[in-house]
Order: sequence, then C-alpha cells, then structure tokens
Amino acid sequence: MTSPSTALTTGDPGHAVVEHSPTAGLAHDSRGGISNPILGMLLFICSEIMFFSGLFAAYFSVRASTTPWPPVQPKDLAEHFNLHAEPWFAGILTLILLTSSVTCQMAVWAIRRDDRAGFIRNIGVTLVLGIVFLIGQVYDYATLGFGISDTTFGTTFYTLTGFHGAHVFGGAVMLSVVLYRGLAGQFSARHHDAVEATSLYWHFVDVVWIALFSTLYIL
Amino acid sequence: MATTTLTPAASAYRSGLYEWITTTDHKKIGILYVINSFLFFFIGGLLALGVRTELAQPGLQVLTNEGLYNQLFTMHGTVMIFLFIIPMLAGFGNYVVPLQIGAPDMAFPRINALSFWMLPLGGILLLMGFVTGGAASAGWTSYSPLAQDRVGQAVNDAAGTGQDLWIMALVLIGTSSILGAVNFLVTIFKMRAPGMTLFRMPILVWTVLVTSVLVLMATPVITSALIMLFIDRNYGGHFFDPVSGGNAILWQNVFWFYSHPAVYVMVLPAMGMISEILPVFSRKPLFGYKAFVFATAGIGALGFSVWAHHMFTTGSVYLPFFSLMTFLIAVPTGVKMFNWIFTLFRGKLTFSTPLLFALGFLSMFLIGGINGAFSAAVPVDFALHDTYWVVAHLHYVLFGGSVFGVMAGLYYWFPKMTGRMLGEGLGKVQFVLMFVGFNLTFFPMHQLGLAGMPRRIADYAANAGWNDLNLVATVGGFIIASSMIPLLWNIFISLRAGKIAGDDPWEANTLEWATSSPPPPYNFDHLPEIRSERPLFDLRHGRAGTH
Amino acid sequence: MSSTPGSRPSTTAIIGWLIAAAVLVAIVVLVALNAQSVWTSFFPPEAKSVQGQEIRNLYDIVFAIAVVIFVVVEGLIIWTVIRYRRKPGDDELPAQTHGNNLAEAIWTIVPTIIVIFLFVISWQSLNKIETVSATPDLKVRVVAGQFQWSFEYLPADADAKSKPIFTVNAPLGPDGGLVLPAGQTTHLYLHSLDVIHAFYVPQFLFKRDVVPNTDAVHDNQFDLAIPASGAGQTYRGQCAELCGVGHRIMVFEVHALAPADFQAWYDKQSAAASATPPPAPSGGQAGPPVNVTAQGVKFLEATLTAPAAGFTFHLDNKDAGTPHDLDVLDAGGAKVFDSKEFPGPAVRDLPVPALPAGTYKFECSIHPTLMFGTLTVQ
Repeated sequence: MTSPSTALTTGDPGHAVVEHSPTAGLAHDSRGGISNPILGMLLFICSEIMFFSGLFAAYFSVRASTTPWPPVQPKDLAEHFNLHAEPWFAGILTLILLTSSVTCQMAVWAIRRDDRAGFIRNIGVTLVLGIVFLIGQVYDYATLGFGISDTTFGTTFYTLTGFHGAHVFGGAVMLSVVLYRGLAGQFSARHHDAVEATSLYWHFVDVVWIALFSTLYIL
Repeated sequence: MATTTLTPAASAYRSGLYEWITTTDHKKIGILYVINSFLFFFIGGLLALGVRTELAQPGLQVLTNEGLYNQLFTMHGTVMIFLFIIPMLAGFGNYVVPLQIGAPDMAFPRINALSFWMLPLGGILLLMGFVTGGAASAGWTSYSPLAQDRVGQAVNDAAGTGQDLWIMALVLIGTSSILGAVNFLVTIFKMRAPGMTLFRMPILVWTVLVTSVLVLMATPVITSALIMLFIDRNYGGHFFDPVSGGNAILWQNVFWFYSHPAVYVMVLPAMGMISEILPVFSRKPLFGYKAFVFATAGIGALGFSVWAHHMFTTGSVYLPFFSLMTFLIAVPTGVKMFNWIFTLFRGKLTFSTPLLFALGFLSMFLIGGINGAFSAAVPVDFALHDTYWVVAHLHYVLFGGSVFGVMAGLYYWFPKMTGRMLGEGLGKVQFVLMFVGFNLTFFPMHQLGLAGMPRRIADYAANAGWNDLNLVATVGGFIIASSMIPLLWNIFISLRAGKIAGDDPWEANTLEWATSSPPPPYNFDHLPEIRSERPLFDLRHGRAGTH
Repeated sequence: MSSTPGSRPSTTAIIGWLIAAAVLVAIVVLVALNAQSVWTSFFPPEAKSVQGQEIRNLYDIVFAIAVVIFVVVEGLIIWTVIRYRRKPGDDELPAQTHGNNLAEAIWTIVPTIIVIFLFVISWQSLNKIETVSATPDLKVRVVAGQFQWSFEYLPADADAKSKPIFTVNAPLGPDGGLVLPAGQTTHLYLHSLDVIHAFYVPQFLFKRDVVPNTDAVHDNQFDLAIPASGAGQTYRGQCAELCGVGHRIMVFEVHALAPADFQAWYDKQSAAASATPPPAPSGGQAGPPVNVTAQGVKFLEATLTAPAAGFTFHLDNKDAGTPHDLDVLDAGGAKVFDSKEFPGPAVRDLPVPALPAGTYKFECSIHPTLMFGTLTVQ
C-alpha cells in the first residue's frame, strides 16, 4: 500500500509528541474560525437552553392547569404567592447580574487588548457581583413565606430559581478558575479561550435570569 | 504533563490496567464503551429471559412476587436503551469517527474519558436498586403519577429507593451523552483532515453528527423532567401531581420529547454503520450519497415533531398533526431503504459476516418500519397501543435494526480494533441463531397484540388463546441467548489466534483502513489524498471508477 | 493486492445453514397446517362496537398496503441478494453507480403519496370515531383506581362531575361489570382515583387512558355503541397502562343487554340504590371481634385465629377509593363466608356464623392474588 499520499502533519514517526494533548502536533485542527473550546461551550449552552426550556415548559403547563394563578389557597400563604407585589428586591438582583455581564464583557475586551490588569480587575468585579447575587438569592429564599412543597407555585418557583442559582454558582466557579489562572499569568491576547468561553456562559446565565425574572415576577 | 515518545502500535494495546483506566485515547475509550455496553447487554438479556420465562405459560411459575416482574421489565428496558444501545453506538462512534475523518483524537480527550466513566457509575447506581429494597418498577417510561408516588409501597413498588436511583442514574447517563455529543460535534466540525469536506465525510460520520444534534437538544429536556420527578418524590413537589394542580400528562410530554428522538439516537448510527458495510461488500459506492445525508437530516428534524404519537390514547394531544408527522417520517426512512437496496443492486456481493448482519438489519428494520406505520394511523393505534404489538414494533426497530447493526459493526471493525479477524464460521452460526431466535421471539408478538394481550403483565388467563404464541416467543428468547455463545467463543479464540487482519482486510473505502490495525496513538502517520467519500477506493483504483 | 475473505464454506457455517433450513421448514409446515388460523391471527378480533368496526375497516386497508409494500421491498432485497452474488475468482469491479435522480425522485414521491393517503383515510375514520352524540341514550362514568374498576350510572343531563344514580362496584361476574344497552349509544367518562389507567376492550379495538385530573371536567370522554346484534354478549376488558403491582388483575367485563333487559336491570339497580339501606344485620351469634386491616392492597395479617362458636371480622379498609371484601374459603376452595365489598377508608364489622374447627383461607375476592391469608378456627 505505497501509493500517492500526502505527507502528514505529525511529521516523522518517533517524533516526540505531548501525550494527552488534543492537538498533539497536528496543525490542521486550528484552521481558523472559532476555536474548539468556544465551539464546545456554545454547543453546551445550546443544551443548557433546552434544559431550561424543559423547566419553562413545565412551569407554563402547571400554571395553565392551576387556576387562579397565583393560587389563592391555602389562605395563610396566598399573599406570599403574589411576587408582583414587591418585585424591587428581585429587580436589584437583576441589576446586579446585568452589571456583572457588562464587567465580564469588559474583561474579555481587556484581555483581547492584552490589558491584563484591566482583565483581572473586571473578572474580579464580575465574580464579586455573582457572589452578591447568590447571597441575595439565599436571603430572598429565607424571607419568602412559602416552601417548595407549597402548591405548584412553590414547586415551580424554587425549582426554576434554584436551578438558575446552581448555574450561577457553576459560573462563579468558572470565573474563580479564570481569575486564578489570570493571576498566574496564563492568559494573553492570543491565548484566552477559557475567558471567552466563561464569558459566554456567564451571559447565558444572565439571559436565563432575565427570562425568569420576567416570567416569575412580572408576568 | 508527561512527555513520552510515540510507542509502536503493537505494544499500545498490551499496556496495563492503569493505562486503560486513565486513558484519553479515543480508540481505547471506544473499546471500553463497547466492552461496558456488552456487559450491560448481557445483564439486560438476563432480565429479559426472566420476563420471557414467566410468560412462557399462563400462571405464575417463576416470580411469585409480581412487583419483581415489574422490576425486571423496567430494568430490562432501561439497561438496554441507556446502557447498551446508546453507549454501544457512542462507542463505535468514538472509535471510528476520528479515524474516518483523519483526526488524531477527539476534540476533548479528557471530557471523552469523563463521559465514558459516568456510564459504569450510572449502571451500578441503577442496578443497586435490586439490593436496596427493590429496583425501579414503573416501566422504563416511568409514567407519573405512578413513578411519583412515595406512599403505599405495596401498591406501587415505585415507592422504594430504586426509583430514585433510576432517576440519578439517568441524569448521570444523560450528562455523559450530552458531553459526548458536544465532543463529537466539535470533532466533526473542527478536526477533519485536509480535503475532508462535509460532503466527503463517510455516512457514519454524518449519522453521528445528526445523532449528536439530537442528543444535544433532547437529552437536557429529559434531564429537567427527571429533576422535576425527583423533586416531586423527595421534596413534596407538585409538577406531576394532579391532586395539587400538577399535570400528569406533563411527564409524558417532556419524557417523549426526549425519548422519541432517542429512538433515532439508537438507530441512526446503526444505519450509518450499515451504510459503511453495504458498499464495501458489494464493491460499489453508496447509492445516492447526498439523498442519504438529507434523509438523515430530515429524520433528525422530523424526529422532534412526532413525540406525541406515543400519547395518542391520552386524549391530550392534537391527533392529526402528530399523525401526519409520524407518517411523513416514513418517507426519509424509505429513501434510505431504497438507497441501501440499490447499493446492493448490480453489485458483487461477498457474504462475509458483516454483510449478513447488515442484510439482517435491512430485512428486519423494514418490518419495524412498516408495523410502525400502523400506529401512525391514530384509530388503529387505539387498538394496538400498549399491547404486545408495540413490543414487537419497538424490538423490530431496536433489535432488528440497532442490534443487528451493532453486530455487523462489531464483525466489521473488530479487525481494526484488535488486529485480528473474527472467525467467519462461528460468525455465521451466530447470525443464523440470532436471526431465527429474533423472529421467533418477536414476530408472534404482533399476533399477541392483535389478540389483545397488553404489555407489562406477569400472567394471563389460560383460556385467552395466548399460550402457544407466548411459548414460541420464550423459546425464541432462549435461542437469542444461545447465539451469544458462538459470539463470545469467537471473540475469545480470535483474540488469541485469529487470522492477522492487516491494514485493510475488507478492501474498504474509508480512512480508518489506511492506518495499521490497531492504529497507533494519534492514528495516522500518513493520510491518503481525500478527493471523494472513498479515499481508499481512489487509492486502489484511481479515480477511473468514479464520475 | 487484495484477498478474498470468507469465500470457503466452513463446517460450522454449513451446520448453521442446516439449522436455519430446518427451522424454516418447520415454520412453513406449521403455518401450512394451520393456514386459516394463522391468517386470522394477523387481524384484530371481529369488532363488536360500531366504532370498532370503523377501526377494523381502516386496519384492513393499512394491512393490505403494508403487505404489498413488505412483499415488494423484502422481495427486492432477497432477489438482489441472490442475483448479485460475487462469483468465486471474480475480481472485476461492478459499475460504480453513484445514484440516479429519477429513481430517487420516484422513491421519494411515491411513498409520500402513500403516507398522505394513509393519513387522510385515518383522519377521516378518526373523525367518525371521535363523533360525540348530543343526545346519548346513556351516560356512564368508568372509575379506575388501583386495582379496581367501578361503573357509575349518571343521569341523562349529567356532565363529567355529576353524582351517579347508582354504582356497580364489582368489575366482573353476573352482578358486576359495565352493563350497556345493545343498539344504543353510551357516553362514557373516564375518571381516575390515583394513577393513569387505560380502559381497553380488545373486541372494541379501542382503548383510552384514564388520566387523573385536577378537575374532573378534563376527564376523557367518548361515545361507544354496541350494535343490536351484540345483545346477550359479554366482552373482556383490561387495564392497558401499567398502574402498579396489581396492573394485571385490573380486568372487567362489558355485558351488552337487549334494550328491554337493560331497562329492567337499570330499574332494579336504581330502585335498590334509592331504597333506604337496611339496618346492619344484627346476627344473633355476633361473637368476639377478629381484627383485619387492609392497606396498600395487602392484608397486614397473614394468619388469623378465631373461635369456632362464631366471631365478627372487624375489617379496617385503609385504601382510599379501593374496595375490599373478606371471604373465607374451606380447604376445598368452597366459599363458606361471603361479605360485600366496600371502598376505604372505612371500617365494617362482618359477623361470621359458627364454622367447624379447622384451617381456612381468607381472601379479598377482588384482589385474590394479592390479599389472602390463613384462618385457623378452634
């Protein structure tokens, strides 16, 4: 089987390669366009969108089969079910998360310019805002007068916001890793896929919250 | 990060257990997938034998506890779908796809290893139900409110920890699938060798691509459903609880939104494997390559709009729409059937074992497609739904289709994976036993269903007229089980003393045969020029044969 | 540069083909001997309801088309496989055909036409089956609970939530089951007390899920008409949606009566229901109590002991909505004590007359496979 064949990128056999590296010595996988980690993150976000679509579908289905909405029974909980009454706290949380999305994007722009100090400053602020959001969420849970087993309202509310909260937590962990690696000087204008991917994820979490806020608190 | 020199191919597969556990090589991970899936295939098969043994005769002979019967068929379905077929096909995809597109590995090797190791973990979680007071027993579909109930254990059996373990296992396996799908998609989009344009990709790669899109879009939805079920069961939630404003049918909607596309996840890669094998053994290109690609994409797209055909009898779905969509999905499937037949047409067929299993796929999947159309006609579905007809239909698709495809793929790629051929004689014995046993088991189920035998019953009246057909089905089940003996024996002796395969024992068309068997780490030292979907054919015969 | 794999027939392969041939011959012989019954087994049972006959007509059309498609395509596969075997030593390449637009267009368009035809005829027959009469002759609510059917006969102006005139609690037997007038139309509501069940009568070729709902107005409903020729017939029905360990025993019967017979039965039932319930039988020999608890479709007691002079079962049925009774059978299986079932949660005292000393079996006659035990009378 020695016929015309194109010489391949690995070069000669026996040439030292770095094991367990996806790109081990091969040139042709970086053919321009978006990088593997960013494409991977975008696809993963697609699946996350479907996950929340499932939860939202359940919310609207359950809401449709519970009349009136919010439920007026049991009486001792009915007034707590009306989240419209004071949306200001959730509104503040929304502002916090929106702001963090902005700072996150500023961090991305900074690292694209190779402005490492600006990048670390903005990522730090984003992380702090994320943590503040989570604390606010916990505080909100503690003050709400109903629990997850209190009618379909409680079940849907805590499930939707809870899983969003879990995603914020996941995002905060990713931001911490990015911050740590940034402090260790691992990112530059050329190599910062992890930053781009994390910021995409953070924006996604933000968008989900806007949908949640509109649905649960306003609609 | 350890730096090592490239090891020669021969020693790469004799490395120790530790190397296998920590490997991120897509080929080793692929083989792990295959081995793991076979283990669960045998477990699922034993569970099925328990079911068939009980049903051989009217009366309760083997299982005095009917709750245990419910556990058996629930776990049979769950194991076969989530721990055998889906991972088995993912395993072949893992092994073959990077090779076929000329890539050194998957895009994310470590995530690849992670997705694999979630599977045995999920499987153990699932099976632990048997030793913690009863496995899940609400059917693999786990309809709510039955599966939701934690009270009245004696009535439901779904009250035990088994159902919670089932949920956790499925979330884990689902996560594994999603990560795997992301990995496949990035690999296919970003890691193709120079010259490997989208329309030169082997059909198997196309089917894995469409499958991955289905997994990516559908699996998260069942994850959300499983989480809702878990909340209902353990934290007093009310999603599926009609007493408190929940919606019992909601579970079916979200469940089937995943589980119908999952049928295509289970059958599309098997179709891809068949589409690799038929051209090789008829020495012709696949007839209508582009039509095949579009048909695959069409099945994928339509696959999202037919889920409610599992719910025609619930009275809660808009029947004409889902009926029409279900009928329409037969069209791209029919296109594929004719493409396969016309690949054989005027070919020169060599009846090696892979081709036999591929032909088994063709002839059996045809039945699975036709009897599916009966249920698309809503009024006929009113008669057939939840009877043994449906059991026959789904096995003709998933066994007659996917399992025959997997067997074809195993005989076809075993030489590449191990460097040795599987024996042809034993292979043919296995094929005959499996083909005969399969038809004896599942064909009579059509008639049982028409005669009114519902699914999921441990016993039936002796005067119902179902005795003979049930006995035939049970005998067939044991013949299928016996077909595993020549397979295992074949693998055992072939690994030790099978014929040495060489790079390309089948005169095949695609890139995996352009490297050694088994391939070295990172797969290729040299790639042939890629000018069509059959680079090796071009290498052998020049471009003369193609137009 | 090429090898020819798998061209030598091996002994094992020959044995394999022999097995296959033997099985094939056996199947052909068996089928030939029973040609008539094999042919009928490919069809549903003869339809005994008007709606079922509609479904059967549709089935016959779908079946005919399916058989034609199967024979043509499977025949094409087999013919191609036999015709285009590679001869030993033939190393020439066949023509490398990549496709044919005309052929591909044909096998896309023709199946599309076939499936659209099938869709249209199935939609038409669906519309006929789903048609609901504005003035049905009878309204019945079928109530399903784990693992029991009961049938509530509703007033003529009833809706899904109306109270019944009377209820038939037993799903089987001459005094139980769904009793319907032949030659008339009945409107059925399906109501679930717990999980999803399915109302399935094979001879009606029909099933519909019994789905638990927040509000009974969403309960499934449909019309069922048994032709006049069905008078005097009994049809077997069964739950078709897995509903727990007792799913299998959830069977019922449909009795079709001639309209006059039905009216007599109906009047008797409604008279019995409106009569004031008789005072609890105060049997003279009400003996000491023997406690029995039914919970989760199980008796919590596996063995009971009672005095021969007579005693009273104190039956505590804790299963909401599920009726139980308590019968005593002697060693030969004959029923020596029979009580009437009642739904839980409720407690009843069931006085038992004097029994000869010995060992008996007690059971709930509605759930005999799940609820039984041993009674020792001393």
